[in-house]
Amino acid sequence: MTDLIVIGSGPAGLAGAIAAAGTGLRVTVVDEFIRPGGRLLGQLHQEPSGEWWNGIKEAEKLQHEAHALGINIRCGVSVYNIETAEAGWKVYTNEGVLEAPFVLIATGAAEYPIPVPGWTLPGVMSIGAAQVMTNVHRVQAGRKGIIIGANILAFAILNELQLAGIKVDRVVLPEKNAVSRQAGEPEAVIRSLLNAAHLAPSALLRFGSRLMKNETIRNIGTRFYPKNGLKINGTPLQLRKAAVEIIGTEQVEGVRTVDIDAYGHVIPGTDRLYEADFVCIAGGLYPLAELAAVAGCPFEYIPELGGHVPRHSETMATPLPGLFVAGNITGIESGKVAMAQGTAAGLSIAKQAGKQAAASGRQLEQAIEHVRTIRQQVAIQFHPDIELGRSQMNEQWKAHEGTSVQPGEKIG
Amino acid sequence: MIENKQLIICRCEEVTYEQLQSTARQHTCSARELKLRTRAGMGFCGGRTCRIALDAIMDSFIPDENKAVIPLKYQPPIRPVSFGTVGGRHD
Ligand SMILES: Cc1cc2nc3c(=O)[nH]c(=O)nc-3n(C[C@H](O)[C@H](O)[C@H](O)COP(=O)(O)OP(=O)(O)OC[C@H]3O[C@@H](n4cnc5c(N)ncnc54)[C@H](O)[C@@H]3O)c2cc1C
Repeated sequence: MTDLIVIGSGPAGLAGAIAAAGTGLRVTVVDEFIRPGGRLLGQLHQEPSGEWWNGIKEAEKLQHEAHALGINIRCGVSVYNIETAEAGWKVYTNEGVLEAPFVLIATGAAEYPIPVPGWTLPGVMSIGAAQVMTNVHRVQAGRKGIIIGANILAFAILNELQLAGIKVDRVVLPEKNAVSRQAGEPEAVIRSLLNAAHLAPSALLRFGSRLMKNETIRNIGTRFYPKNGLKINGTPLQLRKAAVEIIGTEQVEGVRTVDIDAYGHVIPGTDRLYEADFVCIAGGLYPLAELAAVAGCPFEYIPELGGHVPRHSETMATPLPGLFVAGNITGIESGKVAMAQGTAAGLSIAKQAGKQAAASGRQLEQAIEHVRTIRQQVAIQFHPDIELGRSQMNEQWKAHEGTSVQPGEKIG
Repeated sequence: MIENKQLIICRCEEVTYEQLQSTARQHTCSARELKLRTRAGMGFCGGRTCRIALDAIMDSFIPDENKAVIPLKYQPPIRPVSFGTVGGRHD
């Protein structure tokens, strides 16, 4: 018998399982990947404090803790549907149906690509795939790569590729169109990068970021942004070039670019071809909320959180009885925030399940407070207005409180 | 505007930008209808890869007012599974 099924063994799912099992609940974790840890497995970066964040180590720590608490972690198990059962939820997997009164969905985020002509050629991958190849599978993506898209994820992973000794020739923007939108406008890209400047180990960018908070200077900065780009550890960041086509017959051979103005308009006659044998497209991340959707959970559209997000409270409850969410499914944030949210979810579930330890103490309130504290401290923030997105969700939750709840069930 | 009309948006079903555009024009359809007519987002990956790009393209054809509703509905099974698995056989 299981009291709680956790879907996803990333930082949110594992922390949730540990917190719940710590109060005496019987917990099963399922994950479709071959190893527990989720996106942690790919992460390696230096914190502003100088300390290294090694995701593989963090995942191992969580895994040991989980095992010590008797948590059953099942890898290679894919959940394809979820439905209400007589008492709780039925979770459908490729290895059979599981049932429990409580479910925590912690399925994380997915990447979205920006389609570029030629993007179906072998050798083109998402930036996250390059991260997994490099840090999880230890396979070299190629000899010389080009990254299309300049966002915080691209910089974090550029840094990881450089650490692994893989040559990234340059970073360029995608062409501006209906899909890329602001990601194809140098001016907008510079604005968003100001919040990520500490990740770009370039004194110029770091110094520039302070200056460029001023709009006039920023406009001048964008207009006079060096043609050859600023270098990030040797890789030029070319914000005034856009990729128009990925070239190759059997596989990637190069990228055709054009020069663009500050708003992404093409400057005619500026075609260039750059050789490469792999290309990484860095579109962005969105909450992977398929299971919450099929369960019938209501959603809110909050761009600061990454798009459509299941409605949830600060205690990580959804309006559906017994169904909880934590981690990137609730909004795109760093691994540390996901972990803190997982702990809050686990304690919140324990409280509903009537486990004394969590119910009597102030543990849950402290865990919620901890999520806020961590949010302010983390090195990587995917959206500059994350706080705004979070408070919008809280308002939506309060506005709907009590409406779609089944009789006799208490939530939050 | 996407210049290259042959640009593939949905890789699983090989749906191009042009197919989306001409279908949307011809039938002045909703996001859901456009999906059903072209099969964009309905392939092997369940739309996990192209969903966001599709949403943006469809929104550029017909702006969507009610953003809280997910434009392309999710249907189980959300992962590719064999008929045997769905039928309850797990061997
Ligand atoms: C490509 C990429 C790179 C990132 N890089 C960084 C970084 O460098 N630093 C940083 O702080 N953050 C990074 N992030 C953000 C990252 O999502 C968070 O740091 C954190 O890992 C989120 O934790 P989580 O537990 O919510 O989800 P995840 O860590 O993504 O874990 C979710 C787990 O759920 C499983 N799962 C999903 N659906 C199913 C299903 N239907 N059935 C079974 N299992 C399922 C997945 O296999 C996965 O293991 C990155 C995200 C992505 C997508």
